[in-house]
Amino acid sequence: MKILVVDDFSTMRRIIKNLLRDLGFTNTQEADDGNSALPMLQSGNFDFLVTDWNMPGMQGIDLLKAVRADDKLKSLPVLMVTAESKREQIIEAAQAGVNGYIVKPFTAATLDEKLQKIFERIDG
Amino acid sequence: MNLSDKDRLSQTINQTRELLVHLENNEIEDAQELIDSLATGGDEDLFVEIGKLTRNLHEALTNFQMDSRITDIAASEIPDAKERLNYVIEKTEIAANKTMDKVESCTERSNTMAKDSQELLKEWKKLYSRELEPGDFRRLCKKIESHLEKNKNDADELHAELTEVLMAQDYQDLTGQVIRQVITLVHDVEESMVHIIKMFGSMDGYNSAKGKTTGKEGVEGPVVNADKRDDVVKGQDEVDDLLSSLGF
Repeated sequence: MKILVVDDFSTMRRIIKNLLRDLGFTNTQEADDGNSALPMLQSGNFDFLVTDWNMPGMQGIDLLKAVRADDKLKSLPVLMVTAESKREQIIEAAQAGVNGYIVKPFTAATLDEKLQKIFERIDG
Repeated sequence: MNLSDKDRLSQTINQTRELLVHLENNEIEDAQELIDSLATGGDEDLFVEIGKLTRNLHEALTNFQMDSRITDIAASEIPDAKERLNYVIEKTEIAANKTMDKVESCTERSNTMAKDSQELLKEWKKLYSRELEPGDFRRLCKKIESHLEKNKNDADELHAELTEVLMAQDYQDLTGQVIRQVITLVHDVEESMVHIIKMFGSMDGYNSAKGKTTGKEGVEGPVVNADKRDDVVKGQDEVDDLLSSLGF
């Protein structure tokens, strides 16, 4: 499984990559905002996208919308990991078709649980 | 002329009576004189009031110019504060990376230790089930000896790396001091602004805006006062509840 991790802070990308590795996902790549992530997704055969919301350049919500609008990418599972915690934002992400929403600060157990839930739903 | 309202009223009544008497007696010149004095009397009070206002305005302007604190804040302390906050970002990033370097290295080491022990254990169990040849036993003993030696070294290394993780947390003290200085500056800026509002603005507007918690439109990053707001979730559980109420 090939996963793209998008966050403007390298430390957060590193934390997520480490947690994913502990969960058995070793094939991960990184991007620092939507603008650099989108071309990678379009040409890279990724199976999963983990993205932050608040980033300079293209924000996570716009990346999600771009993914859903792209014929090749529209069924890509997207997990949002973000500090944005307004109810209206969570609703907006849900309406844009996010598969999971984790609010920072989060734990390794939460990441594991949300990933399992998304995979169960895809497989089922 | 500084008379109270009551004095002024009775004075005006008396002057009006006097004027009426002059007019009834056809003393036009006296009446004219009285009217003139009445008019000048009013002007004097007006001039006094304007004088007071002018003096207040002058004082306010002088105070404003003399408040060099504002100049210092704008010219050097705010740029300095920006530098300080950048220092905080830098320090915390270095500490986070240093910690993760060491954690990754420790994880690798512990994985190797577990794997080596697992292999050795498998061979050791063969000894119980009498599957070992005499030559194999000697080789196993050698392996166990070198494994124990390696374990001892690894434990020392782990300890050294954990000490480095410990030391990487010294950023908390340094950034804490820097942030406290910036908080003091923000407090000074607040005081100066209130001072300006008192002189030139409306304190009523200030008081009614006080205590209002305003959420930002769009993205706003971590919310530090979630307890005081009802438009934000207070943790993952509330996110999950909200999403499941939407049919997720």
